[in-house]
Amino acid sequence: MAEYVLKRIGWALFVVVVVLTAVFFLMFGIGDPAKATLGPNAGPEAVADFERKHGLDEPIFDQYLSYLGIIACVREASPEWDDDPDRRGHCGILQGDFAESFGHNDSVISTIGHRLPRTLLLGAVALSFEMLFGICLGVLAAIRRNTWFDTGFMGAAFLGISLPTFVTGPLFLLYVAFNLGWFPVGGYGMSFWDHVYHALLPGFTLAIVGAATYARIMRSEMVETMQMDYIRTAKAKGLDGFRVVVKHGVRNALLPIVTLMGLSLAFLVSGAIITEYIFAWPGMGSLALESISNLDVFTVMGVVFIFSVTVQTGNLLADIAVARLDPRVRLGAETSH
Amino acid sequence: MRSTRRNERVAAGVLAAAAVAVIGFVAIKGLPPRPDGPRYMGAGAEAPVRGGTFVFHHESSVRGMDPHISFDELSNMAIRLVFDGLLDYDEDANLVPSLAEAMPEVTEDGTVFTFRLRPGVRFHDGHVLVAEDVRWSLERMLHHDTGSPGYPFFKAIVGAERYHAGEADHVEGIEVLDEHTVRFRLTEPDQTFLNAMAMTFAYPVRRDLYERWGDDVGKHPVGTGPFRFVSWERGVQLVFERHDDYFRPGLPYADRMVFLENLKRHLAVMRFANGDLDAVHRFSPADYLIMKGSQAWAPYRVEEPAVTIWGFGMNTEIAPFDDVHVRRAVAFAIDREGWDRARAGRLAPTGQPLPPQLMGYDPELPNRQFLDLERAREEMRLAGYPVRQNPDGTYTAEGFPDEIVFWTGEGETSRFYGELAQHDLSKIGINLRVRQVAFAVWLQQTGKRGTAQSLLTGWNMDFPDPANFLDILWHTRSIAEEDSNNRTFYSNPELDALLDRARAETDRERRREMYRQASDIVAHDAPWAFIFCDTKMEMWQPYVRNYRPHPVWSEDYRNVWLDLPRRRVASLYLGAGRPSRMAALFPFGGL
Repeated sequence: MAEYVLKRIGWALFVVVVVLTAVFFLMFGIGDPAKATLGPNAGPEAVADFERKHGLDEPIFDQYLSYLGIIACVREASPEWDDDPDRRGHCGILQGDFAESFGHNDSVISTIGHRLPRTLLLGAVALSFEMLFGICLGVLAAIRRNTWFDTGFMGAAFLGISLPTFVTGPLFLLYVAFNLGWFPVGGYGMSFWDHVYHALLPGFTLAIVGAATYARIMRSEMVETMQMDYIRTAKAKGLDGFRVVVKHGVRNALLPIVTLMGLSLAFLVSGAIITEYIFAWPGMGSLALESISNLDVFTVMGVVFIFSVTVQTGNLLADIAVARLDPRVRLGAETSH
Repeated sequence: MRSTRRNERVAAGVLAAAAVAVIGFVAIKGLPPRPDGPRYMGAGAEAPVRGGTFVFHHESSVRGMDPHISFDELSNMAIRLVFDGLLDYDEDANLVPSLAEAMPEVTEDGTVFTFRLRPGVRFHDGHVLVAEDVRWSLERMLHHDTGSPGYPFFKAIVGAERYHAGEADHVEGIEVLDEHTVRFRLTEPDQTFLNAMAMTFAYPVRRDLYERWGDDVGKHPVGTGPFRFVSWERGVQLVFERHDDYFRPGLPYADRMVFLENLKRHLAVMRFANGDLDAVHRFSPADYLIMKGSQAWAPYRVEEPAVTIWGFGMNTEIAPFDDVHVRRAVAFAIDREGWDRARAGRLAPTGQPLPPQLMGYDPELPNRQFLDLERAREEMRLAGYPVRQNPDGTYTAEGFPDEIVFWTGEGETSRFYGELAQHDLSKIGINLRVRQVAFAVWLQQTGKRGTAQSLLTGWNMDFPDPANFLDILWHTRSIAEEDSNNRTFYSNPELDALLDRARAETDRERRREMYRQASDIVAHDAPWAFIFCDTKMEMWQPYVRNYRPHPVWSEDYRNVWLDLPRRRVASLYLGAGRPSRMAALFPFGGL
């Protein structure tokens, strides 16, 4: 297991570096970050000052290597900068420095530090809805398979998978928040529980596709599991239906769901971009959109770093969780990936 | 058993269809319509009252509260609550003294400006403003390491360029004469210097705070403005409270200001309609039409032209636009009124370079541009491209390039303008290919010499002076190989000389006439086909009083007062009243 985990971490790091490299050169290839930040009214001197301050007037590869922390710092805005090249330090991600956010006049770490917890909260609410509705509906549909309940809820699940967030989000906002007034019209709230209250509608919106997917998979797994011999044995021993279903059936049928949860992280992170925009949730998703459109290069790099690490971590955790839950699975040489 | 299961499936299908039908009916008919007017009215006070919390918003994040660095409209909304300048603008865009006791004394040659500060003005932490704060602030803004975008506006101060280049320890042309008097010496007369002193870049700050907080000073702003900074939840909101020692007696009226960040317009309008937001200034196309059409909101709504100019820019160094006749042909082919109709009346059509609010604007400008297809075709003929009509009704300009590339920025509005331009120019045989790119790419490419043949372009003022338009957009010195603000690379020595004289002219009426002449030259030479000025609609709640859009500052809410307690309006909905059973479904926000 340890060897497998180490290999996966190495692979994840490689993927993250490739992603960061691609995004770095892509962002600088789109346009001039200085002009995009300063706006059309800025004259050449203001642009030159800005570029000098953030090292944007250096060759692109030097900027990249400085950003990674491999060569000496090229950004005058960094504390590691010195007029004497021999005395300049390193100011890259290897040193934990993710540079400055152009659009927030703050370090990227600080900017992300404000936003990340909000996206995590939204993700946690969404994941909770996914698990709650997905597992419960899937189990109920399996127990009542081939009845109107099964058909109805699986039909609804199919609808849920088909409806994209940018359709359901505005509809919920308009009817449930604005017209009915059951939830706030977007935003983040003031206190912690107010944040949670504000997260309910966007969290539910984000959870629909995942919950529907979980429900269908859970139903399928439960149907198969409930036909196993040990289930028949449990019933024959006189165990009540609830214990049979929950203790014996659900537990074994959960394995694919656990794997899916890791993959869900990727969807939650990418889906958060749209959901956060629709509901004005000030998290990583809205930060990503804002930074990309403003060519706030270093903030985009920081966001991409967080997203890619999250996805890699989710996949790894899913694999480890499956191995822990299913004694038949051994990670490493016997596992194909 | 089989038939039972089949019956169950049929029943399930019928139930599902019925459920969808019910949901659809409720969604379309059963829910109450959106309120047509304000949900709350004021208490009815005649005179200003103190108190209350004013809540406003913007669509993006505040970049920072350091007036030397943050210059965007959004950050300025926050900065102007906390800081003041020596000068400000009144409701008619006239310069007036603010922290200065009076307008500065100016020498006859227009190069020396002496400001006397109001005595006893206090920062939020109790320190008294002195002239040394003004001097230090300007030097800090001009310093090389600060990288302030404001530096170019103050280059005319003696020694500013040497100081910025690191060749001097101080700016020679800024002198503190006594505790309340500061003098500025310029290298040459520049009538826009007073406008520069009214910009946020020139707002006085305190040295000890910058030394204490360093680069984080923007998160701990302390100024002399009407509100003091309380808290900032990044990306969410900023909170300000009244500065009780503000130098203007009785002001401000509100107890608190809450500035919501990242609230997109579609949400902001919903919240505004619900009464959860006190003012709104951005509208989606649908919301714009709904709110503009609402009679109930009419007393609390205003739509005015902004001090902007938009047009079809033509690179005068790239054929065929190096020929003035081709440019004039384009200028006479644009149907400005048609563009306004296409945008549902949201534009203020124009045919000259200056917005109506600025001196030099003349509605009867001799060479103003307007729609005249016959004249446009005549100009094409003079350029050597006679226009003939084809049997299918289209037009061809003989010998003209097959297509012209037209650069626009991102967004559906830019795309739409591109299509309007295509339509108009097709009538003089010009085939336009719209090249839509991200805004950052548009900025980079159109500012690079020899790149963009034509472009959709506009300008928003830095300050309300014609020099801020004419000098920056069409003076030869605004041309650069890259990042050129003069994106049409237009150069006219006669215009340059006129603009230089106008910038230094101290007599206002002579200056006005010079800019009128300059405007006429630009309209005639047509580096742009001038098309429209933006209009802007703003709305506020009935209990928000003393607010009118400021001609210079966006969403300037400093002096509003709230007519509290607000009263809930009894009935808002058009048509019949809402069924009483529906009231049970409205625990929050409903009647």
